[in-house]
Amino acid sequence: MMDLNISRRSFAATGAVAAAAVLAGCNADTTAQGSAPAAAGSAAATSGVELQIFAANSLEKAMPEVEALYTEATGTTFADTQYKGSGDLVEQMRGGAPVDILITASAGTMDDAEEASLVDADTRQDMFTNELVIVRAEGSDIEITSLEDVASIDGNIAIGEPGAVPAGKYANQALASVGLYSSDEGEGGEYDAAIADKVVQADKVGTAAQYVATGDCAIGFVYTSDVYRYDGIEVAYTTPAESHKAIVYPGAVEASSEHAEEAADFLEFCMTDEDALAIWAEYGFELA
Amino acid sequence: MRFSKIKTHPESGSGFVPGPLGTCAARAFALIIAVLVVACACLSVPMVALAKTEAAVTEEGSALNEEAGIGLVGFKRYQKGALRPVSDIDLGYRYPLPDDATLVALATNEAVIIYVDRAAAEDAGLDLEDAAQRDALITLVEHLDKEASRGGTLIADIAASREVIVTEEQTMTIGLYTYRFAVDAGEGRYCSVQPAALREGEEPTAGAEAAGLDLSAGALWCDGARLVPASEVPVAAAPGLLEQLDTFFSGVDYRPFWVSLKTSAVALVITFVLGLLAAWRTMGTSSRLKGILDSVFTIPMVLPPTVCGFLLLLLFGRSTPVGQWLVDHGISLVFTWEAAVISAIVVSFPLMYRTALGAFESLDATMLDAARTLGWSETRIFARLMMPLAWPSIAAGTVLAFARAMGEFGCTLFFAGNYAGVTQTIPIAIYFEWMSGNTDVALFWVIVVILFSFIVVLVINLYTAHSQRYRERGGAQPRRGGCDVEPLAAPEAGGDALRIDREALRSLIAESDSTTAEGRR
Repeated sequence: MMDLNISRRSFAATGAVAAAAVLAGCNADTTAQGSAPAAAGSAAATSGVELQIFAANSLEKAMPEVEALYTEATGTTFADTQYKGSGDLVEQMRGGAPVDILITASAGTMDDAEEASLVDADTRQDMFTNELVIVRAEGSDIEITSLEDVASIDGNIAIGEPGAVPAGKYANQALASVGLYSSDEGEGGEYDAAIADKVVQADKVGTAAQYVATGDCAIGFVYTSDVYRYDGIEVAYTTPAESHKAIVYPGAVEASSEHAEEAADFLEFCMTDEDALAIWAEYGFELA
Repeated sequence: MRFSKIKTHPESGSGFVPGPLGTCAARAFALIIAVLVVACACLSVPMVALAKTEAAVTEEGSALNEEAGIGLVGFKRYQKGALRPVSDIDLGYRYPLPDDATLVALATNEAVIIYVDRAAAEDAGLDLEDAAQRDALITLVEHLDKEASRGGTLIADIAASREVIVTEEQTMTIGLYTYRFAVDAGEGRYCSVQPAALREGEEPTAGAEAAGLDLSAGALWCDGARLVPASEVPVAAAPGLLEQLDTFFSGVDYRPFWVSLKTSAVALVITFVLGLLAAWRTMGTSSRLKGILDSVFTIPMVLPPTVCGFLLLLLFGRSTPVGQWLVDHGISLVFTWEAAVISAIVVSFPLMYRTALGAFESLDATMLDAARTLGWSETRIFARLMMPLAWPSIAAGTVLAFARAMGEFGCTLFFAGNYAGVTQTIPIAIYFEWMSGNTDVALFWVIVVILFSFIVVLVINLYTAHSQRYRERGGAQPRRGGCDVEPLAAPEAGGDALRIDREALRSLIAESDSTTAEGRR
């Protein structure tokens, strides 16, 4: 049985393994030269510390600028930051993804993370506040003067999936305030028949914004800050603050982070450095 | 059992065959691909180009009016401020301003206030009494505000319904609020909103709290810039199309390509070995066991990739006892590059397995038995007989498995996540680039994938054509050798495949005879 002749096939296989090895080598070179650090295996960069941040999807444009500022100031680098729906981020942490800092878009999702002992409760702080707005495509003639107007919209309505996307939950709370959604909690309810077949659920608040920008939906519920980071959408109506729970972005250091101190330093930097504050201001995040 | 039998029979007229029909189909396909590529290029190039030509004359954030002789540089728009002290100085609700800002445009519920630093106005030759110059300044601010608005409300829009005030006074009170423009504090310059009724020695924030006043409601947003003479605004020539393409291509992150290639190459090597072994071992087992094995090996092809990803996540993730046990024993795979490779293996394995099994099963069993009677071991039969005979099908299966591994999305996203430079493959990059508004980058990757797939299909076609020629030569040989087999007139069971098998078997046996003869010598 064991008289394996070295045939053409085994040569081919060996060749393929060698090619893969060479490719792997090439890639290691390119990532080393590249400006952004790779998450795995490049911990030997400048100061040796590389932070992995999980941030709410709405921070996708502003956060990289603040990170770049921090890297310039301290030499601490960042692994590829994950921007997803806050619920997804917490699930990903539960799944075992290595994280140093978690910033979510609602107190509820951070509560979940805290209950599961995923984050260090002592480091938790409210970082930003935001406003919930209804957006329309730029130049669209849709007029909205109150939440009730949503019922008579001609076209689809983009709303984040309330389980994973805090913006969707706030939107449902706002809709519930005018009777278009059955649960005041913003989750687990039903849409009113007037809008039920028009609602399109998005996996991230950014997706909801993108649906409106591409014209797939006539209006969408997103944050003010999303209007500033996507082209092609504009504010049609700002929902009253009392129609939904207060929108806060809590941040915290992960419970078992190896770089807990550096992570706390970075959160501190985000909230106090004047240049960082200017970036938040530019993208429409108000400090909590 | 003939589920994915990809063996090419000339009679079947399938797409890979270089008969008249085959070439025609191949040409049509090539044409479609070419049209697609050109269409995509036409779509993306203007998008890249047009997006940048408009503001080509001056840099971003600067504009000038030559007639009035004034210009603005370093324009920035701040959508929100902050209610925090700067270096322990309480400024109330304050907006940051660009360095050395000499112009501030503040939008409030009552008015649009444009503050101009007196010294800067003198330097720029701006006379606020001159209505034409004043209007020119307002137009410049409106233009730059629009450019920096990112979809927010525009000064140009609200100016119609509000008073537009142009002032050189550093402090102005409207209603309940006092606005202070260009306040220096710490290392920066700020525009601040404070309560109008402030008692002596009272801090703005404390005063506002005492009066129940929401300072952040005092202003909507704030613009800042430097006012300079028109001659000092840097003017650059509009970048050409080539330059724009150059900026675009140097701005693209090419790591997804390497990640894709690396992941699928490693996955392919493992899939190739595992798939062949599985097919080989499955063939020899009893029919009941074979049924079970076959279902297990094939099921990843039938299941949605997200299900595979979810199961893998449960198996290796920290949320289940099994995963926890694995993590405790140092096997932490979730959201790593290895996870991406495993995902690619899982989804591409059935393709390799099914193709190999189909090819092995279509081999003539009597021929394999003949080899056994000659005393060949099973390993030798596999390596020297089955592999060479089934090679064209296996090669096609390998290419399909590679393509599947390259295109893997759902399972990878679930199990390996989206980490740029580590697990972000091209399909994942396309989705996330589109999602974050970079449609042009997403289109670039789409074109890359289409071109790549085109090359892969082309290679399959060329290879099949090549092996087809080999077959034709093989079929012609017996006549020259005076053999009485009449290949074309013998459409017996197995047809072409059987004919080739016999031919190959003959040469193989002849070869083995000569080696054994050599061995004896």
